[in-house]
Amino acid sequence: MITSMIGIALKAFLILLYATFVGFMFMGIIRIVTARIHRRVGPPIYQPILDTIKLLSKKSNITHGLIYDFGVLYALGATILALMFIPLGSISILRAYGDLILITFLLEIPMLGIMFAAMSSGNPWAGLGSQRALLTLLAVQVPLGFAIVALAEFYDTFSTYQIVMAQQTAGWSITYLPLLLAAVAYDIVLQAMFGKEPFDIMIAPGEISLGPMVEFGGKHMGILQIQHAIALFAETLFFSNIFLGGAVVTAFASSILNTLASLGILLIKQLAVLLIAIFIGAIFPRFTIDQAARFYWKWPTIIAAAGAILAAL
Amino acid sequence: MVDWRLFEPLFEFARKRSLWIVSFCTGCGGIEMPPLMTSRYDLERFGMMANPAPRMADLFLITGYVTPKTLKRIIITYELQPDPKYVMAHGSCPLNGGVYWDSYNAIKHLDKYIPVDVVIAGCMPRPEAVMDGINKIMEMIENGTADSWKRYKENYEWYKKNQDELFGEGWREREARRWIPWLMDKKEE
Amino acid sequence: MINELMIIIFTPLITGVIAWLLDIKGLREGISILGAAVPLAYLIQAHQTLTSQPSIQYSIVISGFKFEFLLYHLSWIFAMIAGVVGFAAVLGMASTTKDSYEWLFALMSLTGVYGIFLADDLISFFIFWEIMTFGSFMMVLKYNRKASLKYFLLSVLGAYSMLLAIGILYAKVGALDFTTIQQTLYQDAMRGVLGTNTLLSRNDMLLIFGLFLIAFGVKAGMFPLHVWAPDAYSETNQSYTAMFSGVLSKAGVYGMLVIYILLGTRLMYQFGRIGAAPKFGYVIAFLGGITIIVGGLLAALQEDIRKLFAYSSISQVGYILVGIGVGSALSIEAAIYHAISHALFKGLFFLIVATIVLRTGKTEFKDMGGLAEKMPITFAMTFVAILSLAGIPPLVGFASKWLLFEAVIHENMPILGGMIFFGSAIGFVYLIRFTYAVWFGQRPTDLDDTKDTPIPLAIAMGILALLNVVFGIAPGLVATELNKIFGKEIIKGTIWELNIGFGRYNGLLITIWLVTGIVIAGIIYFLGAKVRRVPVTDTYQGGNPVTMEYNLTIRRNFFLPLKETLAFWLRISFDRLYQDIGRWVEDLAETLRNYIYNGNVQAYAWYLAIILLILALWGV
Repeated sequence: MITSMIGIALKAFLILLYATFVGFMFMGIIRIVTARIHRRVGPPIYQPILDTIKLLSKKSNITHGLIYDFGVLYALGATILALMFIPLGSISILRAYGDLILITFLLEIPMLGIMFAAMSSGNPWAGLGSQRALLTLLAVQVPLGFAIVALAEFYDTFSTYQIVMAQQTAGWSITYLPLLLAAVAYDIVLQAMFGKEPFDIMIAPGEISLGPMVEFGGKHMGILQIQHAIALFAETLFFSNIFLGGAVVTAFASSILNTLASLGILLIKQLAVLLIAIFIGAIFPRFTIDQAARFYWKWPTIIAAAGAILAAL
Repeated sequence: MVDWRLFEPLFEFARKRSLWIVSFCTGCGGIEMPPLMTSRYDLERFGMMANPAPRMADLFLITGYVTPKTLKRIIITYELQPDPKYVMAHGSCPLNGGVYWDSYNAIKHLDKYIPVDVVIAGCMPRPEAVMDGINKIMEMIENGTADSWKRYKENYEWYKKNQDELFGEGWREREARRWIPWLMDKKEE
Repeated sequence: MINELMIIIFTPLITGVIAWLLDIKGLREGISILGAAVPLAYLIQAHQTLTSQPSIQYSIVISGFKFEFLLYHLSWIFAMIAGVVGFAAVLGMASTTKDSYEWLFALMSLTGVYGIFLADDLISFFIFWEIMTFGSFMMVLKYNRKASLKYFLLSVLGAYSMLLAIGILYAKVGALDFTTIQQTLYQDAMRGVLGTNTLLSRNDMLLIFGLFLIAFGVKAGMFPLHVWAPDAYSETNQSYTAMFSGVLSKAGVYGMLVIYILLGTRLMYQFGRIGAAPKFGYVIAFLGGITIIVGGLLAALQEDIRKLFAYSSISQVGYILVGIGVGSALSIEAAIYHAISHALFKGLFFLIVATIVLRTGKTEFKDMGGLAEKMPITFAMTFVAILSLAGIPPLVGFASKWLLFEAVIHENMPILGGMIFFGSAIGFVYLIRFTYAVWFGQRPTDLDDTKDTPIPLAIAMGILALLNVVFGIAPGLVATELNKIFGKEIIKGTIWELNIGFGRYNGLLITIWLVTGIVIAGIIYFLGAKVRRVPVTDTYQGGNPVTMEYNLTIRRNFFLPLKETLAFWLRISFDRLYQDIGRWVEDLAETLRNYIYNGNVQAYAWYLAIILLILALWGV
């Protein structure tokens, strides 16, 4: 009992460490690739780690009350929770409970924590940014919902792990037409979930001073950087798992080698998802909030609904 | 609590390589920022990033001449930043008034009101000069001489006295109240 | 004569009358709370009885009519909802009620609800339905005449529909008790399958179903019959609304289940299935789906706290209707689960609104702000309620919503699936608006000496908040009761876990890992430098100095972009349509009055003569 619990704790710690590290690398890659598209050199890849260390080592911090602190902690806590449910090769801890709907919700609730913290500061920019973030959430929810429905109906299960296992024998999800449509819609949704252009009006830096983030500084912002890293990892991981086949390598005799190989394959898939988002983000200007809502309620919704209906037939 | 002195070199390195700038362009020097940030000089190589929110910023660039009206905003924004924070004055005007040396409405010595770490002379300083200044401030952070935020804390009375001499006491409240009738009028329209 | 079912049903009414007659401050509150507590105690006791026998029956004959009452698992669950939320609401009313008039009618409607849930024949069902409607109507009438009239008109429409449907059923079947009707209609369906003539024709079934749908749809607040709810919910004692929205709307939901119990097989035979769902159920589900979206979107655009939650209540009942409409055993269990959680969190929300209204005397968002510091207990309750309604694990709102999602999507219903996904996001949206405008941000200076909640309200909120948490972390508690309705294990799993084969949810594990995550975050947080508290005026406003005289909170039109996006759809309003119909009827009546019923006796004599002449010519 005790040893198994220690084992789980150790595993969780390693997963967390890996996710955080890779998440920070992803953030670095985003900055470098964007810089290269701009024909700049860009920062070193470990730059986000330096930023986070700097933010955490600030010598004075401010707070606007209990909710301001708790919202930030809640955001990171919920992200860690979400991470534990997503299958990561064959080593995820709670993958038996990794339910599609649960994970979809868990990937959204960190935002609720950030909103709570931002709003409790009383800064008008934060209020405005939260409003925009919520409306973006509302806009993306329709295609996202249809995409998840399409998946669940196609595989007739809600377990992410079973979906991954089904893909090992039957081929990637995106090789089937209904799920290809769902994947396209979900990828457009991911753009907003990453907060990349053209759907980054919620943090519009020049206009509303980063919106919800305006009052965060020092260690609060540092924790949110860590949260962002893990969320980036979790979101790309979720996409690779449900649409791009995940990775369950059993070719080697040693389980450690198998795990490493699965992680490597997953990493490549995650990078592919990420790079698409960066490319789109780097070349588009941003939509206003009603344009974004109208966009999401038109094409991605039609695509995803078509996928869902095809999957149900 | 944990004794963090062991990690202090790491922190100093992180601070030096991750200077986030407050996007607050006070004067004509602001026009030198775009070439610095974009592909010609690319400040992001050093981890520098323009950041609109002062709560998470480190480096305050005073880009050009400072009027009393701007100075009020500069002081307020400066005080919003968390420690440690650094100030870099940009061009001759904040240093000694520059071409506005006899203007009735320009601040001649910025460092009487807020502490300044590095001053770049020139009118305008070219981006190369600014980058030299940035190199300088990075060196200073590394060897611990960029301590303006400590000076501001230690000599707060002196800075406060100078500010109050210029604006009169309770200037924040007064400045805030000044706009209320205007806002009220707008509401009624 | 005295039976526990009778005690459960009539105690609230009797105590209400006593409280009304006595009208002594302090005493009437005590009696009324007792009146709500006694049925609850009996219901809890009845749980024990129900484990040994399937049901508790009671019948009474009054002047030839036989009234039958039955307590079995389904009605026990609904009666428990009424018991718990009714008790909490009555506790809340102890703080917010000013006179005994309200006690009488609040408790009368509670009696009505108990009667509906325990009735086993259509006559007592109908009578208690009317008692409930009357009690709630009087509660609204005291606060707002117009709102109450709207409620009254639609309720009358519903009541007549139900009466007609009952009449048709009685004419065809010749009985009013549930068992006979159910069996007769079942045999009728069998007859239809065998190809012989059926007792009821296709049109009869369509008519009965339509009439029942209107009757129950009105009470549940189903689109497009929801128009009374926002006004009626908001224009009454807010503690009572906890019961009104939490329990009385469940009567409509229970009515939908009664359609299933009585007519289900017959309707299924008559109209067949669409996908996996019965076609008649799909109508309910689809209307429920539209209710979710319409209610949610309108909730986001309200400027009044009470209205926001009234619309939100409509939206949440939509989920329940979707679950019932899909019609698989799992989805009905999910719907009942959501009925429970809706009663818990919406009851809690309305008690919170009652506290806010009581302590500030204001109801609109533009007068609120920054109350979290002044009312910490209420805010803690709000936090639980928000997480529960928004469907954040590990609270009850998530458990039930999760079950519903899985049940609906598993039945291959993509469009309904999309609708409920949208509904959950819109829940986020209007809740954050409420949180922002009331609890966070800058506090208007006239709210600086707001006190926290009074003790009875705090206890009432505490009960509901505790249940919100407990049923979320241990969803198995509810699931075992739900399984008893169907007599088999539809939702498997332990006390902590729901296992429906194609999906699993474990409340305890989520709680543990969420706490672990927050602890990890907390360690990072506490390793950092100390924090300094700053006031709301010390925020970044583009460098401008501000004082408290500035308005730093978006108080009105918070979701303006949403309004702009939806501008086209918002022009369509069923409320206005009904008002136009009402005005049209009024105009017609005016015309009639001017030209025909003009008050001239001579004219009336002429009418009489003409009618007699026509009759004579007709040869009567």
